[in-house]
Amino acid sequence: MTPTSEKSVERKFIFEFSNVTSDDKYHFEIPVHIPFVGNIQELAQRLITLFKVPVYIEKDLEADLKSFVDQETLHFLDNIALDSIKRGQNGEVDVEDIIKKFERLYKDETAEYAAPRGSTDEELFATVYHKLVHSPALEAMLQVEHSYSIHVNEMTTHRDDELDALTERQGKEMSHLVSGIGEFSTEAEVNSLAARHCEDQNMIQAKINSQIDSLQETQRREYREWLMKLLEEQAEEASSVTPPTPSPTHIVRLITNEASSKEKKKGSNELETEVPSNPSMEESFTIHLGSQMKQMHNIRIMSADVLHLCKTHLSSKGGKHMQPQRLQTALALYSNDLCGLVLLTDGLISSFSGTTKEFINVCQQSTEFHFPPIDDQLEKIREGVKETASWRQEHWSAENLLISGQQWRRASCSGALRTGDVYVTRHSNLNEVHVVFHMVIDDSLRSSDINSRHPAILGLRNVLKMACSNDVTTLTVPLLLAHHMTEEMTVAWCAKRAELVLKCVKGFMIEMASWGGSELKNLQFVVPEGISDEVFVSLAAMLPSVFRVSNPLVFKASSTPITPKSN
Amino acid sequence: MEPRFAGMTFFATSHAGDVCGTNGLPLTPNSITIYGRSQILRTFSHPNLCTYLDIIRGKHERTMIVSEFHAQTLALLQEPLPLLGIVKLCHQTLTALSYINSHDIVHRCLAPDNIMINAKGNVKLFNYGLYYMTGKGSDVSFPIGNPRYMAPEVFLVDSQIASGPKVDVWSLGIILTEQALGVEQLWPELKLAQLMRKVLSLINCNSDTSVFSRIAREHSCWSKYESLPQSLVHLINSCLQLNPLDRPTPKELLEFPIFKEYSFDEYSLAERPDTLVETTHHLNSLPLQELYYLWRLAGGDVQSELKKQGLIRTMPPILSVPRLVLLEGSVLGKRRDQTSLLDLKIIPLSLESLRNRLAPVPVSAYYPLITTKSDVLNDAEECDAADLPLIIRERDTEYQFRRVVLFRRLLEGYPHTKSAIVREARKDIPPLYRGRVWAALLEVEGDIEAHYRETDKETPTHTDRQIEVDIPRCHQYDELLSSRDGHRKFKRVLKAWVERNPQYVYWQGLDSLCAPFIYLNFNNEAMAFACLSAFIPKYLHRFFLKDNSAVIREYLAKFTHVIAFHDPDLSNHLQEIGFIPELFAIPWFLTMFSHVFPLPKILHLWDQLLLGDASFPLYVGLAILQQHRDTLLSSGFNECILLFSDLPEVDIERCLSDSVAFYCCTPRSTTFRQHERCPSKAGLKNKPCHPDLEMSAQTVAELQAESCPRISGADLLDLLDSSKFPRPKVMVIDIRSPELYNVGSAPGSINIPHSRFDLTQEIPQLPSCPEVNILLQNRGKILVVAGQGDSPCAIQIAQIFLRNGLPKVCVLHRGIDVLQLANLLTKPTAI
Repeated sequence: MTPTSEKSVERKFIFEFSNVTSDDKYHFEIPVHIPFVGNIQELAQRLITLFKVPVYIEKDLEADLKSFVDQETLHFLDNIALDSIKRGQNGEVDVEDIIKKFERLYKDETAEYAAPRGSTDEELFATVYHKLVHSPALEAMLQVEHSYSIHVNEMTTHRDDELDALTERQGKEMSHLVSGIGEFSTEAEVNSLAARHCEDQNMIQAKINSQIDSLQETQRREYREWLMKLLEEQAEEASSVTPPTPSPTHIVRLITNEASSKEKKKGSNELETEVPSNPSMEESFTIHLGSQMKQMHNIRIMSADVLHLCKTHLSSKGGKHMQPQRLQTALALYSNDLCGLVLLTDGLISSFSGTTKEFINVCQQSTEFHFPPIDDQLEKIREGVKETASWRQEHWSAENLLISGQQWRRASCSGALRTGDVYVTRHSNLNEVHVVFHMVIDDSLRSSDINSRHPAILGLRNVLKMACSNDVTTLTVPLLLAHHMTEEMTVAWCAKRAELVLKCVKGFMIEMASWGGSELKNLQFVVPEGISDEVFVSLAAMLPSVFRVSNPLVFKASSTPITPKSN
Repeated sequence: MEPRFAGMTFFATSHAGDVCGTNGLPLTPNSITIYGRSQILRTFSHPNLCTYLDIIRGKHERTMIVSEFHAQTLALLQEPLPLLGIVKLCHQTLTALSYINSHDIVHRCLAPDNIMINAKGNVKLFNYGLYYMTGKGSDVSFPIGNPRYMAPEVFLVDSQIASGPKVDVWSLGIILTEQALGVEQLWPELKLAQLMRKVLSLINCNSDTSVFSRIAREHSCWSKYESLPQSLVHLINSCLQLNPLDRPTPKELLEFPIFKEYSFDEYSLAERPDTLVETTHHLNSLPLQELYYLWRLAGGDVQSELKKQGLIRTMPPILSVPRLVLLEGSVLGKRRDQTSLLDLKIIPLSLESLRNRLAPVPVSAYYPLITTKSDVLNDAEECDAADLPLIIRERDTEYQFRRVVLFRRLLEGYPHTKSAIVREARKDIPPLYRGRVWAALLEVEGDIEAHYRETDKETPTHTDRQIEVDIPRCHQYDELLSSRDGHRKFKRVLKAWVERNPQYVYWQGLDSLCAPFIYLNFNNEAMAFACLSAFIPKYLHRFFLKDNSAVIREYLAKFTHVIAFHDPDLSNHLQEIGFIPELFAIPWFLTMFSHVFPLPKILHLWDQLLLGDASFPLYVGLAILQQHRDTLLSSGFNECILLFSDLPEVDIERCLSDSVAFYCCTPRSTTFRQHERCPSKAGLKNKPCHPDLEMSAQTVAELQAESCPRISGADLLDLLDSSKFPRPKVMVIDIRSPELYNVGSAPGSINIPHSRFDLTQEIPQLPSCPEVNILLQNRGKILVVAGQGDSPCAIQIAQIFLRNGLPKVCVLHRGIDVLQLANLLTKPTAI
């Protein structure tokens, strides 16, 4: 009966006026939407023009119209209010529900009513760490971290060596046995041997892994305690820091003594040789985006193994030297300038294969002191994925996207992630990366004709958006949406793919400017390591043509003219 | 000094996922919508309202509000008010409410802590814009209002529907109840849910027991209630009517007899503690807006101030990174940052640093227009910053203080102070008053509001579509112009202009032209419209004709002439590679550079432009080319096109000083255009001269065929006037035959008969003769080639000079004969 559900109503405004000379009455009527949006005086002017009425009614008309609109608006709002009060009185609406709704609103959204909440451990540790890392204690901290990671690294090397040795021994045993089938062994024996071998492998692996786990656990605890103590000391004297010697040496010694010195040498050699694997080719540009207000960004293209950005490179001798990137990464960890990396993966978070498996190995090379270990983080995400299945059930609108119905059904049944979905892990122990965006891809990316509506491209957009809203200001993106060179990646394929990705990313970056988050300062494109020099050069040449390279204004400082580089 | 203003902050909700607006473009972030919407609040001026000074957008949808502030609030009063105080409180609150109601604004969070009391003991409502600026709460996730004072219907009505002005009346009723009963706070012991239950239970009051009496009984204040005067009880009862139809509006309440019954004007709501009484500092005489402007220049930063006071706390972003982002854009596992909750704490902003900064400024600086002839008072002292670059002057507190004070006083006297405004604007224009100064420079006068009001901006026309396509692409990096209100204003002003100028059409570029005016007059559309309407005839006369090709081609031809006149090498090079102005300069001039520069640069550019005449933009164009001269000279056609496809970086201040220099050393007639608006009669101060001495229209084809500009006889006569220029700035090259030359020629002229030039050569050379040597020695002077009448030879010879790199070559319009009109021909002396 009352227009409670309607947001506006239409009312008829009738205006009457008389002629100056005669007694004739004129009138006109117009519909007015209540609540009225706009300027009443302007409406009056338009009515005068529209109905060609004499101008002398201007004042009367304005006044009439104004009081009409005011009255009607008030009436409209009052009726809605009255209606709702009546329903409250009659018990048509459940007052308790409303109270609950508002209570939740106030408690969730306002500091005044929200449940008082202290800082979490994580936040507390973040503050402590951030404070210390920006103090003279920095060097000591990094050294401790470094020596800790050497220990872990030794353990993992030891594990791998053990396993290798075991595999070799088992292989010999097995081949011996197999060669003797029919003579001194039976198939059943072979089978049981295989089973035993498998068991042995698992056992050794489990044994050492649990040792590593406990070592990492100890390190983590010790490190955090140490930091807390350090802060106290600093607060007390605010003077020089005496780094307490980290204690877990005894655990490590135990194991390293077992490993033969020969093997140890070999291991350390490997480590040494790994260090200089810097990106083989790279080129940097400074670009400007935007039509009038230009925003500056740094763009880099390089050919490297993505995991290179993650691996911390240890030099085991002395343990004094760490890479300068580690310092940068540590300083920025709790800042508003995070570094992100897009890592391509498949939809099954549990599958330990390909790049993701290698990545997990890299993460486990050293102890994660700040965030849950990578396994735990992935486990959490797996739980989250279950939610997504139900979420997707409710939001069928996703069908609008270019995704085949079949894949859709498969994904929603299995509860797995779909191409273009992104899960995120956080790290403190990687070389140049804090946040890793794992983007799910599938085989459709191998095709040469994907367009800008491909889920992987949309996924990239989401990554950029996330970067923008979470203060990730340095982002590394695989330019070809692939981590390794494969057969179908011809020169033409590469050029086409690179152009698509560059243009889309450019578009997203322009779009980002209006999102009101943080600016992406550095954008790095990485192409697989094995790419040929010519292709790399052609891709690098594509950057300045897609992005507008900044054209600096050069003033002559001396008589010799300096012309801006125009490449 | 006590703080005069304070900051507060909240977060807008960010749009989830990939939502697009009806026009297919991404949605405007809510914080920008809020930013645009809240601008109008800054214009509110009422004795009982705290003035809004600024709205600032932070990262991640944070919005910060700066508003006038008074330390005393109703909530902080120790004692309940006496009857007179209650009546005054009620009356002043109601006048404030009815003022904001007249602007379609509802307070919605009226509560004792939002009723501030100023030093004089008057009510100052605070935070009255929150509900309005957040789109009636739709752009934020938090509820608006204090549940204790909220009207029951606010809980009951669907949150989609806006609250009307009567919800504030209820809140006022509750506040008055507290004061009248002498209770510090109603239901002080109730928790949130109980409190709301209590408020909602009031709807079940019978019609015979009023809400007020029920509350009085519940708080066992019955005797107090009984002792209250009838008129007050009636007032409070009216405020607390359950049925909104029975509850009066603030405006109606003001008519209640109780306000005539008591005289409360003299009563002060809060006794000012003695400690706060201090000698009024001179700074307090400044308007709050100026004070805030200077405070910011003196290093005041709202965000860092709020951070320092702990209101803005941030969690390291890595701790709140989400776990999962689905393809559809929905984010899962993002931890709610506790620091993003609504905290309506008010942080006063200290004025100490500003006071210290301005301490050395003498009192006389506050009154710049008082000129003293006294020896004791030396008032002419200038600020140290006066000679520094513009960018620095705009950031110098003391300098800006002087400028702002001066311009405010001058603007108050406009239009009588017009000449003084122009004079001062030549130095610079303080950003705070730029909008009004521009209007003064454009001579905007009269009842612009009425004019604008009468212009139809609603009726759909066929240009609407184009306008709607262009607006979301026009200077959208700016928060004001990209806001929803910004778009609406754009559309209205543009439509109004099209409506008012039926002889013209909407050309793309008009939107860019409109942008600076909307930006500067965001709260005054009529002014933006008036400025635009004055600007276009002055600089872009006839540019918006449906067929504007003749106008634009003439303009560009003149631009070519200007380049040739000042920079022959560049001109020759551009000519050679075929990089003609048609290829790059049309957007420059059609939008007066507003399409190619970001707003901050446009503002500085136009500051200067508005002081010049219609030819000034040509010199700006030239100055831009000059800044890239080296690149241009060393580039071919393709590189040039690429370089100018998106205007490269330009140093505006240098560009402007260059343009002024060019402008000053160029005879005005060389930039004569037939499509320029004729200067009004009053503007001509010189005595009218013979029409042959003036310029006359040439066709575009003629203009394009000539490489050098023509100079009028009048300008030449002026330059030859030895009393004005003791050292001649001009040299006339008479190309007539020696016979004619010897009969009589311009003073100081040299004779190089045209027959000496070999016009057939492909690359024409200068002939070798003593006259040419004299000519080369006089390089840098304005070289006027004069022939017999409009002889084509003069034009060709001027071109030869140009090709040989001689600057400032022009041709005498109508030839040497015009000088005869002035009886200026003299017998040349032998060389």
